[in-house]
Amino acid sequence: MSKSSRRLLGLLVFGALAAAWLYAASRLWRTSVPGNLKLPKVDMSTLVGTSELHRAQHFSFILDLFGLAGILLPLVVLALYAKWGHRFMRESAAGPIGTGMLLAMLGIAILWMAMLPSNIAELWWLRRYGIEKTGYAGMIFGTWAALGAEFLGICLTILIVMGFARLMGNKWWLAGAPVFVAIGLLVTFIQPYTSGLQPLEDHTALVQAEHRLASKEGVAAVPLKVENVSGMTTAPNAEAMGLGPSRRIGLWNTILDGRFSEPELEVVVAHELAHHKHNDLWKGVGWYALFVFPIAYLIARVTRRRGGMAVPLAVPLFLFAWVGLSTAILPIDNAFSRRLEAEADWTALQATNNPQAAKALFVSFVRTTDENPNPPFWDPILFGNHPTEAQRIGMVEAWQARSGG
Amino acid sequence: MNEHPVTLHVMDDLRRSRLTVFFRFLLTIPHLIWLELWAVVVMIVFIPNWLVALIIGRPAKPFQRFNAAYLRYTTTVFSYLFLIANPFPGFTGEPGSYPIELSVPTTPEKQNRLKTFFRLFLVYPAIAVAGALLYVTYFVTFLAWWVALITGRMPRGFRDLGANAIRYIEQGYAYLFLVTGSYPCASPYVGMALGEPVIANVTPAVAAPAAAESTAAEAPEAPPEA
Repeated sequence: MSKSSRRLLGLLVFGALAAAWLYAASRLWRTSVPGNLKLPKVDMSTLVGTSELHRAQHFSFILDLFGLAGILLPLVVLALYAKWGHRFMRESAAGPIGTGMLLAMLGIAILWMAMLPSNIAELWWLRRYGIEKTGYAGMIFGTWAALGAEFLGICLTILIVMGFARLMGNKWWLAGAPVFVAIGLLVTFIQPYTSGLQPLEDHTALVQAEHRLASKEGVAAVPLKVENVSGMTTAPNAEAMGLGPSRRIGLWNTILDGRFSEPELEVVVAHELAHHKHNDLWKGVGWYALFVFPIAYLIARVTRRRGGMAVPLAVPLFLFAWVGLSTAILPIDNAFSRRLEAEADWTALQATNNPQAAKALFVSFVRTTDENPNPPFWDPILFGNHPTEAQRIGMVEAWQARSGG
Repeated sequence: MNEHPVTLHVMDDLRRSRLTVFFRFLLTIPHLIWLELWAVVVMIVFIPNWLVALIIGRPAKPFQRFNAAYLRYTTTVFSYLFLIANPFPGFTGEPGSYPIELSVPTTPEKQNRLKTFFRLFLVYPAIAVAGALLYVTYFVTFLAWWVALITGRMPRGFRDLGANAIRYIEQGYAYLFLVTGSYPCASPYVGMALGEPVIANVTPAVAAPAAAESTAAEAPEAPPEA
């Protein structure tokens, strides 16, 4: 085969893969929220009060600054580590993969140290507003201990990447990416078993409501569980988790502490059921799979200049490329997540048929989390994995208008 | 008098990286997990190996090599965890790869069948001593952690105390897993080979591995890390 034929074949394969990628992405992007839905502008000050709104805006603005530090600092630190991190190779007596693991762990350790002042300041801010309850020593020790789990994760990643790179050279990503998808699938499946979920007691009415809502949404009832987080935070939350037989709805005990009415809790449960109904956790894994292939490919390309992922020298650059590319796709990741959340809100409205409760819930969220319901445009792009509370209330009003409520 | 088939060779230069010292426990976690997995196989192997040793009077050669690699690996992991050595160890227990090296017989030796039969009971006093030594090592490591973090060096006394504890523990393991028929020796003069002897009038009992010897020759004590 001549060089030009090979080039043409390569272009055709690339074109076919790109078309398949776009098709899969568009399928995942699609939701049941009407495409022509126009959200009305909501005056949040009349709903939550002017002083509450100012408090939330002030709180969120500073929190956003910490969020920005959380995005930029890792990039700066890991860029410097990519340049000089190889010096730590002398601290290893292990083989190439063991040395790669050490370099990766040290990169994360240095990042932890660099982030510590910002994390302490953020905790101070959250404690000031009564959102966090964790003490400073508890936070430092807790994140230090959590580093152990991160170290294990990064060692596994390095083992996979370097192991395949030593077998397949720069084509490691072809074998590595499916393994990462399989791990993502496994983690999603086992999450309910590792989250310390407790049985839901003394909420018989809510359990009955869940069964009713599940049948309305056309989904099998999912076990309702409780996550005890009240020792750490006052923020309310709930999450859908698990796949197939491991499916659960985890309600933080902070949402069950009496601040939310029974109809509001039903909206929460209907929302989480909707995630299961729409197979959002599967979609999340699918979305991850869509990006892990190109990211792994780009990392393989970038790290070639350091000899490829078969040698530990490339590991610091690997960390930087990985975090850099993950940051680059953050806006699209958040947009995808917001679409799934909006769809779950829409389905919950249809199932509960109680827009007043939904509205009251979202107003309560502003009051209990001090989250700005109308953040600046860049905030949702970088941090917003849910629609803003103003958008959620806007959707309730749009739903009411459509259903003649 | 100072001979034991299981000997610890210490070729460490006392230099310590402050960064890896600070995160030493966390950095060791992947090794500790790998060690646990390996230990499960060692436990499984113990029973057939014990039966073989009872029948033919010495352990099976493949089991001997496997257990020897396990002992070398545990030595490097404990040395790293307890700050007795500086570099991050490998995962295979390969000989000649670490400044703290355990010399273990890889060829099975003839062992008394009666002692083999009662091995689990006979090893018990040694395990008790090893447990006590381990607690001492924890305490010493705690102190040494601060010193190494501040000065970038491991005090020689702490290092040698830890190395001796590890030497005894490994001799105990070697006895338990039938790698040797020699009982662990509590004397710090037995089964220790220091690259630079710190105890007067003690010469290395067993020739140090070639790689470790050259390491010692080329790497005298380095100045504290800047």
